[in-house]
Amino acid sequence: MTFNPFSVIALAVPLLSAAVIALFLRRRGAAAAVVSAGAAALLAANALVLALGGHRFTDSAEWLRVGDWTFTLGVKFDDLAALMLTVVGVVGLCVHVFSLGYMRDDEARGRYFGGLSIFMFSMTGIVLADNLVMMFLFWELVGFSSWLLINHYHERQSAADAAKKAFIVNRVGDFGFLLGIVWCQARFGTTQLDALASATEGGAVVSAGIPLLLFCGAVGKSAQLPLHVWLPDAMEGPTPVSALIHAATMVAAGIYMLCRIEMLMVPDALTVIMWTGVVTALYAALCAVTQSDIKKVLAYSTLSQLGYMVAAFGLGSLKVAHDDHFHLMAAGAGAAMFHLTTHAFFKALLFLGSGSVIHGCHHEQDIFRMGGLRRRMPFTFWTFTVGVLAIIGLPGLAGFFSKDAILYLAWAKDPAVFGVLAFTAALTAFYMLRLWRITFLGEARGEGARDAHEGGLTLTAPLGLLAALSVVSGHGWFFNVALGGSFDGIMDEVVHPTGAAHSVILATSIAVLLVGAGAAWILYRPAGDDALARRAPGLFGLLGALRESFDRGYGWYVAKVQQRFAMLLNFLEQILLAGLIVRGLAGVVGLFGLGARALHTGNANTYAYWFLLGIAALWAAATGYLTF
Amino acid sequence: MISASLNAYVAVSVLLFAIGLLGVLIRRNTLVVFMCLELMLVAATLALVAFSRHNGTMDGNVLVFFILTVAAAEVAVGLALIVALFRRRRTVQLDGLNTLRN
Repeated sequence: MTFNPFSVIALAVPLLSAAVIALFLRRRGAAAAVVSAGAAALLAANALVLALGGHRFTDSAEWLRVGDWTFTLGVKFDDLAALMLTVVGVVGLCVHVFSLGYMRDDEARGRYFGGLSIFMFSMTGIVLADNLVMMFLFWELVGFSSWLLINHYHERQSAADAAKKAFIVNRVGDFGFLLGIVWCQARFGTTQLDALASATEGGAVVSAGIPLLLFCGAVGKSAQLPLHVWLPDAMEGPTPVSALIHAATMVAAGIYMLCRIEMLMVPDALTVIMWTGVVTALYAALCAVTQSDIKKVLAYSTLSQLGYMVAAFGLGSLKVAHDDHFHLMAAGAGAAMFHLTTHAFFKALLFLGSGSVIHGCHHEQDIFRMGGLRRRMPFTFWTFTVGVLAIIGLPGLAGFFSKDAILYLAWAKDPAVFGVLAFTAALTAFYMLRLWRITFLGEARGEGARDAHEGGLTLTAPLGLLAALSVVSGHGWFFNVALGGSFDGIMDEVVHPTGAAHSVILATSIAVLLVGAGAAWILYRPAGDDALARRAPGLFGLLGALRESFDRGYGWYVAKVQQRFAMLLNFLEQILLAGLIVRGLAGVVGLFGLGARALHTGNANTYAYWFLLGIAALWAAATGYLTF
Repeated sequence: MISASLNAYVAVSVLLFAIGLLGVLIRRNTLVVFMCLELMLVAATLALVAFSRHNGTMDGNVLVFFILTVAAAEVAVGLALIVALFRRRRTVQLDGLNTLRN
């Protein structure tokens, strides 16, 4: 079986770059940066050629055979993969270029860019994988590269802890994912996506356990409740990494994976998925309101938007009247992927914008010590503003269209979900406007903000590109005309409201935007402290407690339950294994050694006695007095 | 010719062997131990000759020649070793010669 050369290039280029950097360029940061950014550019160009050039294919080859199980490595490149690969390529390129400027003075640039390359390789692998086992392998690899990059400032204890936490929490989710894969293999005899699709189309009954276990992987990777705790901590990594991995691509891999296994979904599983997403969206939006770290606000916002996507996916398919017959559309997956795409652009823009702010303010991250950046960093200000307007859903920008698609779906399927998501949208507008106003408007309130300055071209160019994408990537003509309808397989599934529903959704959308943004505008003035904490300390404390409740719960569980269980196991291990078996064996041998050493006196007379004893024994044996 | 009985010869031989063995076991001087070893060989030789004579065959006598040859070689080597030992350690007392222990 031969593979499409472009798909091989897509995987080989970042892997080669990572290998070259790891082997030869660890001490040469400048060269590593050039190699890694070059690889990212090549990957982005390659992704565009693949996606827009009409290449759609499925290749696979046998990798290894264990008994009756055959594992294959393969590439499934349909419209879904093409869209995701394009997003990964474009955002990846922007982040690499941004990193050239942002990480210029970093001591360990070689390690950083090597990490970025290995991440690009792993992420491409997830996108292209045609079976669940292969996807799982790359799934773990992105987890590893995420760990590597969160841990970039490893001399800071908090960064090391955050990396460890991200890895361990993801392991919990991945264990469920692995069980799901095993179950899938046991049930269908294959994990190949195409084979699974034909099996379920053939009427095979799927138990809700399989999609729910597979969903566990998405809960970990896409940071859904209750495994969301690692994502805010992951902000310890360099800001471009947060933009690439913890906002645009890796955390979206969970949603992508769900869309990949859509054929396995059953109504019960979808309901669980939907509510997980809805609760996450609301919870994270509430948490974001009290944050004072610019990156933490964006992190909780990411959680909330990921919840939106998961909820959209969980809403499932929709019956749409088409001429005079009904047509079943995969509206959930379509809306989720649509929002994933627009979110990747505007959230990467917001994160890179915050990176530009942090860089300009000499690594100040507290928004209450910023202010007045509108005049000092105009380009960052305007692009950031575009990002904010896109995420809060100003009509005409990307977020408006994708959010409306989700809201409409919710309205058509489940009014309760619609209500919660609309409220979340109002909260989104609230905390984003708060962040924007406190950071950029008013007077400078800190040393860093006073002599803030705009970064070089490497910092501003990615912002410009992402800002442009945040504006256009919601429009129908962008996909149909500019991109030539290359992603119609996904985009045709997005259901847009029509008629009376259109008015309802539009009115809701604009109402929540005005309410949320207006409330924030009234409540928050650019000041050195949090207005909500001052005026409503009770509410502020409640939100803080809500945010901390999970970490406290896990802390309690680990310290009181798991630690005690571990101590019990350790005790048993010490007594039974180390004590009886290992020490016992060693003790017996040692005793023999002790006895033997006592015989070894070094005195010739003693040996003569032993000799005599030996002779006597030999004689006794020979004459039959002594029998063995 | 007064001929003693076989028993007498064997008794003397056993006595000699016992003296030799006891010497090897309890004496501390290497030279004395060495002489006691020779005594044990001689005891064996005496027994062999007595048996040979008693049975009227040459088997025992032939073995005696071998023993003498080996004993001569052994004395040459053993005495040389003891002399070398004395030169090096200034003692031939067995109590002091326990370097192998450590």
